Amino acid sequence: MKPVALVRMKAVLYLHTIRLWRYKWSFLNMILSEAAWVFLFVLGSLLFVPKEQLTTVVKGAFWVIVAWSMISNFSSLVGGWMRFFISIGMVEEHLLRGFSPFKTLLGRLVTGSTVIISSLLFMAVLVKGAFNVDLLTVDQIALLIIGMALLAIESLSYGFTVAAISMRTSVPGNLLEILNLGVIGLMMIPIHSLPERTRLIYLCIPYTAPSHLVKIAISSVPPELVREALILSTMVCVTMLIFAILAMKLANLWIKKNGVKAIGFW
Amino acid sequence: MALRTLFKSGVVLDIYFFKNNRSAFLFTLIWPYLTLTLIIGMGYLFGSAESFKQNVGVSVDPLMYFIASTLATMVSLDVMWGIGGSVLEHRWIGTLPYILLSPNRTSITLVLTYIPRYLLNAGIQLAEFAPLIFVVEGFYGGLFRLSIVILAITLGMLPLLGFSALFTSFLLSIKEESNVLGWLNPLILLFSGAFYPAYLLPRWARIISKALPSTYTIELARLSAIIGSPELRKITLLIGALVAMSVIYNSASGLLIQAGERKAMRKGAI
Repeated sequence: MKPVALVRMKAVLYLHTIRLWRYKWSFLNMILSEAAWVFLFVLGSLLFVPKEQLTTVVKGAFWVIVAWSMISNFSSLVGGWMRFFISIGMVEEHLLRGFSPFKTLLGRLVTGSTVIISSLLFMAVLVKGAFNVDLLTVDQIALLIIGMALLAIESLSYGFTVAAISMRTSVPGNLLEILNLGVIGLMMIPIHSLPERTRLIYLCIPYTAPSHLVKIAISSVPPELVREALILSTMVCVTMLIFAILAMKLANLWIKKNGVKAIGFW
Repeated sequence: MALRTLFKSGVVLDIYFFKNNRSAFLFTLIWPYLTLTLIIGMGYLFGSAESFKQNVGVSVDPLMYFIASTLATMVSLDVMWGIGGSVLEHRWIGTLPYILLSPNRTSITLVLTYIPRYLLNAGIQLAEFAPLIFVVEGFYGGLFRLSIVILAITLGMLPLLGFSALFTSFLLSIKEESNVLGWLNPLILLFSGAFYPAYLLPRWARIISKALPSTYTIELARLSAIIGSPELRKITLLIGALVAMSVIYNSASGLLIQAGERKAMRKGAI
């Protein structure tokens, strides 16, 4: 790697790590509130579960919520940060120095990962305390890692696409929240409850195939369509990544030609 | 400034807020149904109505149970966020110093300008759910159940106003309202038994839930979900608890808020 690129990478990492430390109360609040809200809704749904099935259902629901938390956090922490970045006038500063603002945005991975991992651990403690279910025991760890990695790439690509769109037009955060809630509903559906003909179509929807892999890894659903889910999730992942890169390139070109509009994600 | 003027300014503020912020208005309409669909959908995906009745320990209709829970939860949250969160909003837009320096007490200004928003939001949510209740329960059954919910959210507002005013003065004095409000609101709802009955919570959590006015509001609203007619004794008991809480919280807020406001002004917490 060229020394300049290395210095820039270090600067981006330093920026986001120091912001994480300076806004520690805000991030702690984010972790606590997210876990509390999710716990509040899940408790209501768990009232429908027969006592003998509670262990399996709680475990399945927990990991789907972790997956959703990843999608929601990456979209809001990455996509949403662009508004702040635009409003403090940093996009122009970076462009003038020949550094893409989207590369700065990549450092939000530090913030997003910290929030996601801390929320996951806090939620695990909450759920274990309430239902005495060990949530962190996984049967197929490799499959869980693959599923989570694919989910992370898909959700990051989504976050970057939102950030790129927010350079040109407004992105209403409320409606993205609704979309994210719709995603959690989709991810909760066990594939065996769907008609056989629609299962592959279901797996083509972004996030569903990796979350199916996660569910298999923790034995919350039977190990059906593993290979298909792996292939389809990789394909969706690559498509979303290409789309995000294209969106960022186009947004960069557009800004250089037309200037920055202070719109962002709200 | 007359109290009537404060109330009127609250009405005008809300009308213009929704007029100029259509996506927020749309979100207000969608959010309660989204919550309801998510909980009921996930519930039926995981289990059944029979298991629900067994776990709750009462013969209730799950749909009506969650409609009542969602309505009571949303309006309770609305009061807490509406009054406590308004401090945050005023700080952000720079109007908090003017409110602190105005002739009326800050808490009175915040409560009185908020009441129109409560009435408007509660009215919108009731109007949203009313057709569903009538479809599920029929006209007379629906009217009866809707009356219980209206009673709960109207009476429930009284102690919550005092509770939220106390909460506001605490937020004003600690200067960290955004970081506290975020996690304290869902925690209060969790202890109030928002979607999971408070009587099923662990013993230590039940003690906290007994001190929260929202617990009684939610329980009263949920009586509308009982299959058959709810006991009049239970309704009366919950109304009594809410009236008693109104007296306690509003008297306490009257005494303590002034101290909180003085502390905020002395320390320049604006």
